Amino acid sequence: MPEVIVTTRSGEQQAIPFTPGTTLMQAITEGGIYELQALCGGVCSCATCHVHIDAGHSAELPTVSEDEDGLLAGSEHRSERSRLSCQIRLTDALDGLRVTIAAEDE
Amino acid sequence: MSATDLTGKDYFTDLSLLLDPYEYFRQMYARGPVSPMGSADSLLVTGFAEAVEVLRNNRDFSSAIATTGAGQPLTFVPEGPDISTQLDAFYEQLGPMNLLVNYDGMPHARLRAIASQLFTPTRLKATHDFMHEFAAQLVRESVQKGGCEIVNEIATPFVTLVVAEILGVPPGDREKFRAVIDAAPPPGNMNRDDAREDSEPQMSPLEYMGLFFFEYLSDRRDNPRDDLLTQLALATYPDGELPDLLEMVKLSGFLFGAGQDTSAKLISNAMRRIAEDPVLQEQLRADYTLIPPMLEEVLRLEGSTKATWRIARRDTKIGDMEIPAGTRLTVALAAANRDPRRWENPEEFRIGRPRIQEHLGFGRGVHTCAGAPLARLEVAAILRHFLEQTTQISLNAEKHGPPGNRKLEYEPSYIIRGLANLHLELRA
Repeated sequence: MPEVIVTTRSGEQQAIPFTPGTTLMQAITEGGIYELQALCGGVCSCATCHVHIDAGHSAELPTVSEDEDGLLAGSEHRSERSRLSCQIRLTDALDGLRVTIAAEDE
Repeated sequence: MSATDLTGKDYFTDLSLLLDPYEYFRQMYARGPVSPMGSADSLLVTGFAEAVEVLRNNRDFSSAIATTGAGQPLTFVPEGPDISTQLDAFYEQLGPMNLLVNYDGMPHARLRAIASQLFTPTRLKATHDFMHEFAAQLVRESVQKGGCEIVNEIATPFVTLVVAEILGVPPGDREKFRAVIDAAPPPGNMNRDDAREDSEPQMSPLEYMGLFFFEYLSDRRDNPRDDLLTQLALATYPDGELPDLLEMVKLSGFLFGAGQDTSAKLISNAMRRIAEDPVLQEQLRADYTLIPPMLEEVLRLEGSTKATWRIARRDTKIGDMEIPAGTRLTVALAAANRDPRRWENPEEFRIGRPRIQEHLGFGRGVHTCAGAPLARLEVAAILRHFLEQTTQISLNAEKHGPPGNRKLEYEPSYIIRGLANLHLELRA
């Protein structure tokens, strides 16, 4: 099974297997990492599933939509590698993707 | 004098719990954040942390019974440490009532992928003008009359029109849908007498609307337009497969229906609070940016969904508590939203609570209400027009009695928290 490697806010790493077709947000929360709040449930209306994508894999990621960009703009922790994990649908090509949960906005 | 013990009451049928379900939840919470319901074969989850844990653990807790609840015995006897096979058979029995809200696992993830693209910020921005124009017009007519009954005269037609307009339901059919929804018992009906065995089987609103939605969606596949029905007709699952048309028919009918009661009741729950609190009313008139945070506090204290249901798919746990497969859970969102371990002075209405957005008014986890962004916008829009166009909003004492001794009637539903009617006096 393909997997993503997730680094939590405290620096712990966890490999989470995923079924292609689910979102990165679903994989992370179903993997038991509950610090990713994902309050809106994946409808692109909050920014509480914010992650930083580690180097690599950027070519395989879907582009950032205007809506996602607008929501990320409201985060004080945005970086060039910021994404909303609910907007990344996982495929086999993303096996081994490494992400870090973004710090929480106040 | 101690309060009457409510813990033995049947949450699913006892109409005396409608006026203040929160007192029942408080008493049940005192027995433990997860405790057996006196009269139903279900655990009641009243603790915030416990409710979040259950709602987020969609692997072990199935949504198969999300809307049917736990007032009636299960149609099967759970056997063994994993009831997945029995749940498959249960899903078959649900037939046309097997909706997105009931799905688990990959079938849910696939359909949710489509539903989650419907109410994006861009799509909602495009609704701003017509939503505000219609809200302004409805409120203007009410203010000219000096008052209104907000539930049926304003809130319901408003949310119906908004969702119909976004979906692209033709104007001529909207009233037909409204009539069928109005004539049917509310979701989570507590009046079991309504389901008399000798009466003719009635077509449910979802089945009735399904006939229309089948036509719309078939047409949109051939003749695309700029509406949500077209988006639904042409949507594909993440793997590129085109969904069966019937799946999209069920989804559209569900979106139309689900957006009605809950949003309309939220408008009236918020308005009751505004009408009964002149200080809050002035505060909001002086600063309209307080409307959204006020609405979040209404969602916490009096959201329109009181509870949702789960069934343990396999032997599992909540915290350290063992939960055998087949256990039903009544997840009381309204109780979790008043859990004193989570909320300081939970009964107090306070705008601007820290981390208020974490309330469970729209649920949590993969089944979090996909229409929440729309609900927030439309409720805020109509409240704003009421505040803008009036100098005073109050309850009609002839209909509801004097302040301090109000008479309010709530819909007989174990799911929905909503007034049957709310008569307002409006001063320009």
